Parts: sequence; structure tokens; C-alpha cells
Amino acid sequence: MRRTRSEVLGRAVRTAIRNPGRTSLTMLGLAIGVAAFLAMVSFGSGARSSVMEQFEVLGTRVIYIWTKVNDRSFGGSARPVTDADVEALLRESVTLERVVPRITEVQNVKSDYASLPTDVTGTMPDYVHIREWPMLTGGMFDETDVQQRAKVAVVGTTVVRELFGGRDPVGKLITIGTSLPVRIIGVLASKGQRTTGDDLDEIILIPATTYEAFLGMPTGYHGLMLQVRHLGLLETAIAEAGPIMRRSHRLTDIEQDDFRFSSPAQAAQLARLVSTILTSLLIGIAAVSLLVGGIGVMNIQLVSVAERTQEIGIRSAVGASPRQIMGQFLAEAVVISFTGSLAGVGLGWLASTLVARAMAWSGTLSLWTMIGAAAFGTSVGVAFGYLPAKRAAQLQPIDALRHE
Amino acid sequence: MSSFPIVDARGIRKEFPNMTSPVLDDVDIAVDSGEIVALMGPSGSGKSTLMNILGCLDGPTRGSYALGGRDVSTLTARERAWVRLHYIGFVFQSFHLIADHTVLENVTLPLYYAGIDRQHREARAMEMIERVGLGHRVGHRPAQLSGGEKQRVAIARAVSGQPRLLLADEPTGALDTKTGNEVMELLLELHEARALTLVIVTHDPEVAAFCHRQILLRDGKVVSDGRTHAAYA
Repeated sequence: MRRTRSEVLGRAVRTAIRNPGRTSLTMLGLAIGVAAFLAMVSFGSGARSSVMEQFEVLGTRVIYIWTKVNDRSFGGSARPVTDADVEALLRESVTLERVVPRITEVQNVKSDYASLPTDVTGTMPDYVHIREWPMLTGGMFDETDVQQRAKVAVVGTTVVRELFGGRDPVGKLITIGTSLPVRIIGVLASKGQRTTGDDLDEIILIPATTYEAFLGMPTGYHGLMLQVRHLGLLETAIAEAGPIMRRSHRLTDIEQDDFRFSSPAQAAQLARLVSTILTSLLIGIAAVSLLVGGIGVMNIQLVSVAERTQEIGIRSAVGASPRQIMGQFLAEAVVISFTGSLAGVGLGWLASTLVARAMAWSGTLSLWTMIGAAAFGTSVGVAFGYLPAKRAAQLQPIDALRHE
Repeated sequence: MSSFPIVDARGIRKEFPNMTSPVLDDVDIAVDSGEIVALMGPSGSGKSTLMNILGCLDGPTRGSYALGGRDVSTLTARERAWVRLHYIGFVFQSFHLIADHTVLENVTLPLYYAGIDRQHREARAMEMIERVGLGHRVGHRPAQLSGGEKQRVAIARAVSGQPRLLLADEPTGALDTKTGNEVMELLLELHEARALTLVIVTHDPEVAAFCHRQILLRDGKVVSDGRTHAAYA
């Protein structure tokens, strides 16, 4: 029986080859459906992992607190965010692992070779731990540097490129603003660009105390970075940190928060939700195109059955059972659908590779996704080939024989 | 010659939905094993319909039909296909070869559906093709053959499954007299060699003259059945 089955398929292949134009057009319909389907799946997973990457760049367990001191839309007089708030949070909260203050302003920075207006951030050593930011060379400043208001800096790779032409800057001096010379003690590993175009590597970190002493901090910190003990505690941590901040700022019950929270994790969740919805929509559209491909297979097989009515009659007269006739036409649908689906997988792989390259997304299609798409496309084609095959099998031999 | 009836049809009536009178009306026909029978009659007499019923291509509206001793008048489409495959061979006026199949492939068709493996069915088909004198044409397609050659291929196909009953519908109708006679001679040779029972539908008295017996139909009824050369106007 297995031998006859492979023979049935072999005959179907020959029939398909006999009509190359028609066969390839039918296959094309299905191939486009499968390709669209694959491209959408890979687009979806690419977009999702891109969202995840951005989210990881910002630190996965981070909550930001922003001061409203410079916020003109805030009604009351906001109290500045200070070291007292950091201490209160660390002392009273149970969900937070680290708290780091942060002030960032654009300063003109000069080396012996060049100058560059860039973000200078005053912060604490834990900054790099919260951002999960490894060092390329050298090290981060430590508590002693903070206490001594040391004139030291850690810089990003863009700064190294712009100010030192890419040469190792550790031990070299740069001047921040007009009068603050600092010695570079470390270089941060590159984080690349965010999709918004911000260059994450255009950064200079100095101790917050050094910043306050030499650059000034008249309105306190711009904000705090809070690291939650684990990701699941994000909401709880925000609920816990709010009242601590209010007490620390001595706000009365009728006063609004003079600070606000933001959380990349929450933003990422939202972005993921949006991209999931978008992807499902696109996959839905791709499924429709696959359906159209299937209908193409049905059409062509119906035409084929109509054209070969007399042949069916001859086969039937000779003794072919309805099942054998049906098997013949189903085998043709299998051959067309399978080949078309394989071509579609090829096309889809190409499309998704190009899209991934253009969007700088990592990861393309897995082997199993491709196998699944090929199997799905084949089943669609065969499902739509069923009706014509059934029709062929139900032809009355005498009517079919008389057909011209 | 053995003489039990291979075909035993009684009271056969065949109606078609959009016709007022039946195409066959109470037809009794018995054919002994090894007989050669001519089924004659003018167009519209019902001889083709009778052949379809005898060949299990169609079932009767009423009546019983025993083929080789078993009742086949109430079979399903699938069971009728099985009977055709194992008991019956057909030869048609217009040959009915599959155009994009070679001679060999056309002849192997019944053996293919019988599930015989490629090697054996090609060997058997080759034997038949040589027997009908077309050994030099196995790879040709029907369009490359003459009418007589096409009918020889059709005959080779009809007997390749070793049927007991061969039904031929105007087998010489599309051929000139000489070729037609050659085809008839081939049929008679096969009859001799294989103890085939032959039922030939024809309105050609010359063809009928080759047969042991002539059955004449008119308006769906048997009007004569005998070993005489029926007067046929």
C-alpha cells in the first residue's frame, strides 16, 4: 500500500509538471499567503524583542522619581529632592534594593583635542548597578570619591570617540564647563542608540557631591532611580515609595505629590501589548491571504476536474474506485500545496531577514516556525482541494464518459 | 464449451428522470460463458443503456442482474467499481484512451487500480501489447497512433485485467472496413485464447455475423434473440 501511495504522489507530480504555467500560478497564490504569514510572525516577534531590548537598556527593575521643582504646571511650591529623600526611602521601604539620586545637565566638555556639549550626570556609584551597565575599561567611582568630592569621571564610548578619537582615555583629563577638570577613571560599555535616536553612550558620570560643589545644584536633584528587589514588586514599590516621599517632603493631606513616578517596565508592558495586538492583526490579514491562496487551489482543482471529466470516466470504467479517483485529485492538491508552501517559506524567510536587517532586529525565524508554516499552508491547500476531489469521485461513470 | 450463464438479467427496466417512457422495459437477457453475442438495434433502442447496466457502469431502475452467479443489481458505486475492475473489460467506439498517457500506461491502468506492483503490471501489459501487435509502439501517445492501433491499445487495456466479460460498444464504428475486420479478428482470437465472453453492441450486420448469437432491441424491448443472422433493416 505504501508503494501505491508514493506512486499516486509521483503521478500527481507529473500531472502538475504537465501544466507548468497554471501549476506555478496556483502555487504562487499559496506561496504568497505562507510568506505573508511567516513575515508577520517574524515581524511580531522582532518588534516584541525590540521592545524588550529597549526596556532592558533602561534597567529592568527601575522606577524613576522626578522632581516637580522646575515644573511650571505644578501649582504649589515643590520641595527639592535631596539626600534626605534617598535616606528615607532606603530606611523605610522594604521593596527597594537601591536608591540613587541623579542630576543631569548639558555641559560643554573639552579634552586636549576637541570639545563637545554633552550630558553630565551627578550621581552615586550604584548608578551603574541599577542601569545594569558593565564597564568597558577602568572602574566606577566609589564611596570614597563621593565623600572626597573627587574630580573623577566615568564616560560613555561616544565621548571617548568624540574627545579622544577612540584612544583609551583612562587617566586623561577633561574639563567640564569652564572650570572643572576631572580625570577619567572608567569607560562604560556601549549601549547604542534608542529607537527615539538618543545616543545612550553620550554620557559622563561624576560623583553627585563633586557636581554639587563645582557645578552647583540650586534646586536639588532632578530625580531618583529606585531599584526594586524583583520585577513583580514594581507596583507595590510605587505604592510604598509614594507615602515615604510625601512624609519626607512633609506634605499635608490636602497637598498634591510634588514628585512623580515613571517606570520603563510599565511602559514596556504597554508597548508589548500594543505590538501584540498589532501583530495579531497582521497575522490575521496574512491568514486571509493564505485563505485566498487556498481558494486558488480549489478553483484550479475544480477546473482540472471539469477538464478531465472524460478521463475520470475512463478511469472509473476501467475499475478505479471513487476513493482512488479522489485520492488522485487530493494528491495533486498535496503536491501543489506542499511545493507552494515550501516556496512561501523561502519567500517569507527572505522577507523577514530583510525586514530584520532594515530594522536592526535580532533573531529571525526559527526552524519550527518555518516547518509549522509549511505544514499549515499544505493543510490549507489540501483542505480546499478536498471539495474538487470529492466532486471528481462522485461523478457518474457513464455521464463522465459521455462528456466531451 | 461450458454453458452456465455468466450474464443473467431479468425484468430489467431503466428509467431516466426527464424521460416519459422507459429506455429499457422488461428486458431478459442471459449470456453463457464463452458466448459471443451481438446486441443490435437502431439508435434509441436502448442497447447502449443495456450495455452500461451489463457492464456495471449503471444500475437498473428495476429488475435483477446476476453476474457470474452473484447479484450485482443493487451495489454501491464503490462495489460496482470493484466488479468492473475484476470481471469486466470495455472497448468503446471512440477508444477512450487517456491522451497524455503512453500506450504502456494506458494498458497498465486496470492493473494499477488493482494494486499490482509496477514491475508485474508492466510485464503483463507488455505481454498484452505484444499480443495485439503494438510492441513497437509502447512509448507512443494515442495522438501518434492510427485509429486501428488505438483500438488495439483499448482492447489490450480491456483484457489486461483478465476479465471474464468483455463489452464492446461499436468497436469498429470509427474504423474503415479493413481495419474493422482486423479488430474483430483480434477480438475473436482473444476470445479463443482466453475463453472470454463477448458482448458486442453494433448495428453493423458484418460485425454481427462474427457472433454466435444476435439479440435485437427496439424501443427498449428485446424483439428477437437467436442464432440466425437477424433481418435488420
